[in-house]
Amino acid sequence: MGQFWEFFSFELKFRLKSLSTYVYFTLWFFLSFFAVAAQDFINIGNDKILLNGPFSNTVLQILFSFFGVLVIAAIFGTSILRDFQRDTYQLIFTKPVSKFAYLGGRWAGSFVTTVFAFSGLLFGETAGTFAPWADHTRIARGHFWWLLQPFLSITCIQIFFAGSLFFCVAALTRKIFVVYLQGVAVFMTYLITSAVFSARRSLEHFWSAIFDPIGLRLLDSIARYWTVSEKNTLLLPWTGIFLYNRLVWSGVGVLALVCVYVFFPISVEALTAVSQGRRAAKARQTESEEPRPGRSLVAGKLPVVHQFFGWRTTWAQFFSLTHLRISNILRELPFWALVAVMVVFALISGHFAGHVNDTNVYPVTFLMVQAVEGDAVLFFLIIGTIYAGELVWRERDTHFDGIHDALPMRESTDWLSKLAALVVVELFLLTVILLCGVLSQTFAGYYHYELFEYFQELYLLTFPSVLMYLLLALFLQTVLSNKFVAHGIVLGVFVMNIVLFNFGWEDTLYLFAYNPPYIYSDMNGYGHFVRAIFWSYTYWLSIAALLGVISIAVALRGTDDSWKDRLRQARARAPGLIPAAAVCVLLAIGSGSWFFYNAHVLNEYLNAKARREIQADYERNFKKYEGIPQPKVIAVDAAIDIFPEKRSFSGSGHFLLQNKTAVPISEIHLVDSEQSVSNVRFDRPFHLVSASPRNFYRIYALQAPLLPGETVNLNFDVGYTSHGFTDGNERPQFAYSGTFFDSGYLPTIGYDSGGELTDPRRRRDAHLGPPSDLPPRGDPVGSRTSLFFSQADWITFRTVVSTSDDQIALAPGYLQRDWHEGGRHYYEYSMGDVKTLDFGAWVSARYAVKAEKYPGANGNVNIEIYHAAAHPYDVDGMIEASKAGLAYYEKNFSPFQFRQFRVLEFPRYRNFAQSFPNTVPYQENWFISRVLSPDDIDYTYFVTAHELAHQWWAHQLIGGRVEGSNMLSESLAEYSALRVMQKKYGDYEMHKFLKHELDGYLRGRSQESHKETPLDLVQREAYVWYQKGSLVLYALSDYIGEDTLNLALHDFLMQYRYANATDSLSVPYPDTRQFVQALRDKTPPELQYYITDAFESIVLYDNKAVSATVTPTADKKFKVVLAVASRKFKADGLGAETPMPLNDYIDIGVFTGKKDHEVPLSLKKEKITQEKQTFEVVVDQMPTRAGIDPYNKLIDRISDDNMIDVTTP
Amino acid sequence: MALTITGLSKTYPNGVKALKNLSLTIGNNMFGLLGPNGAGKSTLMRTVATLQDPDSGTIFLDDIDVLKDKNTVRKLLGYLPQEFGVYPKLSALDTLNHLAVLKGVTRSSERKDMVDALLKQTNLWDARKKALHTYSGGMKQRFGIAQALIANPKLIIVDEPTAGLDPAERNRFLNLLSSIASNVTVILSTHIVEDVRELCARMAIISNGEVLLEGAPAESLDALKGRVWSKVVRSDAELLELEKSLQVISTHLLGGLHEVRVFATASPGEGFKSVESGLEDVYFLNLARQAKN
Repeated sequence: MGQFWEFFSFELKFRLKSLSTYVYFTLWFFLSFFAVAAQDFINIGNDKILLNGPFSNTVLQILFSFFGVLVIAAIFGTSILRDFQRDTYQLIFTKPVSKFAYLGGRWAGSFVTTVFAFSGLLFGETAGTFAPWADHTRIARGHFWWLLQPFLSITCIQIFFAGSLFFCVAALTRKIFVVYLQGVAVFMTYLITSAVFSARRSLEHFWSAIFDPIGLRLLDSIARYWTVSEKNTLLLPWTGIFLYNRLVWSGVGVLALVCVYVFFPISVEALTAVSQGRRAAKARQTESEEPRPGRSLVAGKLPVVHQFFGWRTTWAQFFSLTHLRISNILRELPFWALVAVMVVFALISGHFAGHVNDTNVYPVTFLMVQAVEGDAVLFFLIIGTIYAGELVWRERDTHFDGIHDALPMRESTDWLSKLAALVVVELFLLTVILLCGVLSQTFAGYYHYELFEYFQELYLLTFPSVLMYLLLALFLQTVLSNKFVAHGIVLGVFVMNIVLFNFGWEDTLYLFAYNPPYIYSDMNGYGHFVRAIFWSYTYWLSIAALLGVISIAVALRGTDDSWKDRLRQARARAPGLIPAAAVCVLLAIGSGSWFFYNAHVLNEYLNAKARREIQADYERNFKKYEGIPQPKVIAVDAAIDIFPEKRSFSGSGHFLLQNKTAVPISEIHLVDSEQSVSNVRFDRPFHLVSASPRNFYRIYALQAPLLPGETVNLNFDVGYTSHGFTDGNERPQFAYSGTFFDSGYLPTIGYDSGGELTDPRRRRDAHLGPPSDLPPRGDPVGSRTSLFFSQADWITFRTVVSTSDDQIALAPGYLQRDWHEGGRHYYEYSMGDVKTLDFGAWVSARYAVKAEKYPGANGNVNIEIYHAAAHPYDVDGMIEASKAGLAYYEKNFSPFQFRQFRVLEFPRYRNFAQSFPNTVPYQENWFISRVLSPDDIDYTYFVTAHELAHQWWAHQLIGGRVEGSNMLSESLAEYSALRVMQKKYGDYEMHKFLKHELDGYLRGRSQESHKETPLDLVQREAYVWYQKGSLVLYALSDYIGEDTLNLALHDFLMQYRYANATDSLSVPYPDTRQFVQALRDKTPPELQYYITDAFESIVLYDNKAVSATVTPTADKKFKVVLAVASRKFKADGLGAETPMPLNDYIDIGVFTGKKDHEVPLSLKKEKITQEKQTFEVVVDQMPTRAGIDPYNKLIDRISDDNMIDVTTP
Repeated sequence: MALTITGLSKTYPNGVKALKNLSLTIGNNMFGLLGPNGAGKSTLMRTVATLQDPDSGTIFLDDIDVLKDKNTVRKLLGYLPQEFGVYPKLSALDTLNHLAVLKGVTRSSERKDMVDALLKQTNLWDARKKALHTYSGGMKQRFGIAQALIANPKLIIVDEPTAGLDPAERNRFLNLLSSIASNVTVILSTHIVEDVRELCARMAIISNGEVLLEGAPAESLDALKGRVWSKVVRSDAELLELEKSLQVISTHLLGGLHEVRVFATASPGEGFKSVESGLEDVYFLNLARQAKN
């Protein structure tokens, strides 16, 4: 024991004296400090979750102990390797040392040191809560256990098992490289498995959580559905999955310790057996060459050679040096280890390139290159940084500098050879990534290799930014006298850019090596982003090159390393370098000025904060006008000329406005949110009363007030002109191919709350108070306002739109005529008498078109798909989905009101699909979706059905601008689309699909930042109106029958559709009260409770199959005795639950077949009144599975314990 | 070529005065620099080898200003530093070839002949394809010699070249050096007096950054002729006594007893016998004189 203490205290003392221990401590201190003090530093979750609450603490401990694996490796691995690196093992093991004392002492010392280093997390977090600038509304004080419990149960156990593992490997292999490799392997395996796991969209949570060494899946498994109030009160409990997980991994740690104790040979002879052999052999070989008798003692003459010095030799020197430096790097094993890790990363990412937002798509080149390059960029930078340091210091580190520095070559030749070597290595890495991409596409069965696009992205876009970092790294390594400090600063610059950007310092001109973000699109290539990228690259490359020139000037040569000497040398070298420096400076000033002129002078420069401030000002100044009587638009006519090559349009518009209120209106408020409207004229005398900055909000006074029912004509000019380029935030509506803007570019009448800030955190920053809710149902103004468009009810629409000759221009409406004039193509579209929502869109692109006719209830419907020629994949599926949707919706709801349905592709600068009248623009990704196996869900099919359904649920029936109305369009469109899917895929696939909807709903509510609402009062909670809405409507159709529900929908639709379409005085729109009533009318009394639960409150079940046994009956049948447990809760908006009495009908089912492939033998709704109830079911076949609510129709947080295997007693 | 060093001074940032107004003229032959550790030999050599700038003073190689026109000097230079390392995992052949390119030997056939000859001369031919970092100390030193002789340098600066060489290799090296030394300026620094005596036409003794003596080894020896006396003393007390009264040049152990060498114009006393003076006596005497001043 004495010896143990000896080793233990030695280890501790050694660690306490070494700087690294304190560096680790400080690192953890500041990371956790900022995690609490700066809420944007690490995103824990939504705005209501305490920054230092139990959930945040748990997440932080998991994340930090994950990344801390490297620190753990560094401490534990080196504790034992130290003896072998410094050859002290020969001193130790020749003394009588016990294995326990040696290993135990070293291990325990490392453990204590590591725990100390990680305790920086505790102190940092605590200190963070006192930072004056922290968000104190999200900080709770005095909960010491919240801090300590995650530290003990996650971090300490992590240190124990990972540390023991590293210790074991280090002791048994005695090679630091293997220890690092092990660290990388652990890291990789984890990332790979979780990537695979999430890509498979598996809902399995048990085993994956138990065997999760890091804890992210474990946390997800336990807390994925935790609501805000649970996240702020609950710690991971030391029971169940969490306990098993911790036991499993502690066990691994113990096992590692046992291993090392058993297998560690404690004798010098055994320890050095391998290396001894190798070293001895080398020594013998060397010795055998030493004595060589018999050589003449007379020295022969050396041949006479000629020296040449000129540009040829300079090149030869450059090539020889570059070649030497490249081979220096390529002969290093760690380099290849990094490359191998990079390739593995790239291939894994490449494998999942075809998964976007949970859907399978074709791994087209822009997706593939993005996938394989994503993680690799980090490797480019890491390898570049590391080897920049190695190359700059190589001669000094190897003591070759005495010879090297006295050679007849220029400093620039030497320095440039270092740069060239790094460039070659980086180009090699880029090429490896290119091959990974091509390989991944091949694996994925996609053979359309666009090598030119790979080339552009990798060599033209990525490489220059890497080059900037190379130059920076070389510069810092040259200027600073410490390799590792320079590494740190390079990394710091990289991180600093991100941090500065998040704090509103967004200008490309001062963020090193930054460039305005760009998006590749198959419709447009790099399109209009090219200019901004080109000039920002020129600017930063010139600056980086200037750093390079400075580096050459002050590069160390010889032994004088004081700055006085180096500056003197720099003066001597200056004459040759000044021209180069001058070129760099001129280029930087020139390109920087040009960039500034474009980003700041031609265009208004606004960072994110300034943009938010504009939104906040808009609300502050004009919210008071919300809901004041304003006329409604009843007719829109616009002449729009699109100039795609200039990313601009111009035109004029006409609105017919009608006073549909009961009072005269003398002031008209006009919002111009896109700054596109000018020359506003009314057809009666008027004058401008006021205009806000940027003309966002203008108030016009009419000389003669507009009387109730009276109309007035409003004419205006409209247009947008792109000037030069901007520093990011290019308007996505305008593209060389794929212009797409909507009515937002036309004036809006009256205050529109759509422009308000919604993020509660941002609102708090702007002192705005909580986001305003939609008014209650029955609100006199809200209920007379259309949900989506406050300025209009229903309109007639006509437009003439023109574009360049090679493009097709589209807008809602039927094509009346098209003609060519002045090298432009004109189209006239009109809706005729058909009333539509005031939701126009103008689109222009180079399109391929496919059209088909569908015989609809009111004659033929033209289905037309306008797509990029490169994206033919989904066109037929879209047509098929449109036909299937038209068939189902016309049969069950009402006839389609239009004669055409058009799907248009637009560039991926924005990510949505949107339903305009008979016109639905989709983002590119929906045009490359791919169905890999027959039972895969075709999402484009689903989206098409959903958007088509909006032609009924929105374009026929729309609710008022009150709470709940959103579900009338979204939930009903989602339910309608689900029904179309069910017809295509059948009930079994729908079950799987609905389970994902359930998962989506439960996850959505756990992220809720405001409060969850019941479905009929939904405000802005998308997970309620999509996932919950579709789930409960689907379940309701199960309870009362599909046809009965559809009949209820039909009745509701026919009664309330086109509200306000013909009235000259506004009347209330329908809302969810009428909707729920329509459902109640068709629901039998014993099921009315379900309407209350599903639509009017938040109800969750906890259903569970407890046991199931089968006994054969006398008449050769099988009797199943099934015990089930069932509980029901009501939740409030923050997720706090109260139990509810049970009086519910729930499916009780008995099945045959394997788990997940069950075939029902008996499925019946039983009335459940007790928490525990037993059922007897007699079936004809031998059953295998039984359970309660087996198809997960009800909302249940633990959805996979509803079924159980049937056993024989 | 002749090297003229005038008034060279160098003080390091830590205050060490490595060179104090040092002047030397080195002709077209082999020049030996003798001096104890820390005498300033390496500083002087690095300065001539363009790796370091003095605080003041000038160096001219014929009419080339060494301190200004470094690149011209580097073209003529062959330099073996006192301590040097090698690129790991690179063979002697590749490294020499690389260095030959850097020295402007761009004709590949000439370069090959030169590298091969050097490898043979330094007895590294058999090990030429092995990585340099696996070389033993002596082999590495021989490699250092080989690289210094690439491209027929006109100015050869070798800092302690024989350190670490076994006697046979040392002899070979000295032979090699003397065979190329005609019409070439060679500066050889060492603290091994024998090297200088065997090789150098002229020499200088440097200590504390100053030249103590400059001249031909033979002349220096002549100056001591008949003035070096030797005696074997039996006890430390006696040795101390002698140190106080006489100018002791050096003591050597001889079978466990001290042999004392003393400088005196006439016999310093009983028991002393006149011995032949060696270069070592010159060296020690000069150092001892400086220490006294």
